[in-house]
Amino acid sequence: MDPTRETLSAFIDGELPPKEMERIAALLATRPDLDAWVRQQETLRAGMKSALSDLAAAPPPERLVRIAQTTPISWRWRLGRAGQGAILRTWIPAGATLALGLLIGIGLVPPGDIGSRGGQVVAQGALASALNGKLASDNGAGSGPRIGVSFRDHDGRYCRSFDADGQSGFACHGSRGWDIAMLAARPNAEASGPYRMAGSEMPDAIRAAIAARIQGEPFDIKAEKAARDRGWQ
Amino acid sequence: MVQLLPRLRRFAAGLTGSIADGDDLVQDTVERALKNLHQWEPGTRLDSWMFRIAKNRFLDVRRGRKRSGVVSGEIPEDAPAIRSDGARGAEAHMMLRGAAQALDGLPPEQREALLLVTVEGLSYRDAADILEIPIGTLTSRIARAREALALWAPEG
Repeated sequence: MDPTRETLSAFIDGELPPKEMERIAALLATRPDLDAWVRQQETLRAGMKSALSDLAAAPPPERLVRIAQTTPISWRWRLGRAGQGAILRTWIPAGATLALGLLIGIGLVPPGDIGSRGGQVVAQGALASALNGKLASDNGAGSGPRIGVSFRDHDGRYCRSFDADGQSGFACHGSRGWDIAMLAARPNAEASGPYRMAGSEMPDAIRAAIAARIQGEPFDIKAEKAARDRGWQ
Repeated sequence: MVQLLPRLRRFAAGLTGSIADGDDLVQDTVERALKNLHQWEPGTRLDSWMFRIAKNRFLDVRRGRKRSGVVSGEIPEDAPAIRSDGARGAEAHMMLRGAAQALDGLPPEQREALLLVTVEGLSYRDAADILEIPIGTLTSRIARAREALALWAPEG
């Protein structure tokens, strides 16, 4: 019985079991009509592939590259997970002004790390020092606030996420120093030590806020260091 | 994702039959992928996921055009699907125009199956996963596409 067109087609694509591949190959040697069909298909496939591969070899248009480069996939994926994870116990949104009294009232503020300046909640003490001088790669095993990602926001300001004493947040550098843009309690803060790596445990609300504000990509080590050496200006 | 652009462009051009339309489809695909990245599971193939988005967007747009009357008639999937202007020389297949013309005569379901296997070099299993169809259906679509192309092209 003649093989079906489906069988011949699967033969061309090498999708038959080895024994069947051998059987069809032997059959084609004795059947010029079937062999011609297979050869024709192979020619068509080569033609299509060759024509379309020329296109694939050409550099893609700038507009496509720009869109695809907007955000590295791993980072965007992590941010995209926002809203799917644990529900925050408490979070303080990034408003024009955060009320220091409110933060203290709900126990979000590590003593000495956050204060108020000109009506804006700002980082101070150990947190301000870490935001000014610490690189994410310096977190190590030591104590103190930990630095997560650094990036530029849509206003062009340098921003950094941090993790300090059970809270996560991010701050952006302005004329008064580091304005706290957002602060949230880490869901499992009790289970960890007083300080923990920002990023891996970043609350979803923080991720979402950063995703909304980030311009381009988070800094790599080199860009982070360069920005620090320029004083975040 | 940038590394995937050449393959996405090739697939999209084959689907739409035109480089310009293909690039529009790629742009749409990338934008949707970025918007829906939370749906992609790390550890699975990003290229397969992107191809699936491109395929779905292509069919969405096509359905939309059909509803609005831009596409005059859909070719039934099981029809031989030969265009009346199809009698060109085999050498035409060596150019994008010729390849695109040959594919353009196929129903979209056959076209996407054939492209994934013959041009992208995917296995039947991977192609069937992208198209979200059983392997048997994929095998059948490819065979029908080849029958149609055999009628379209002169003996090779």
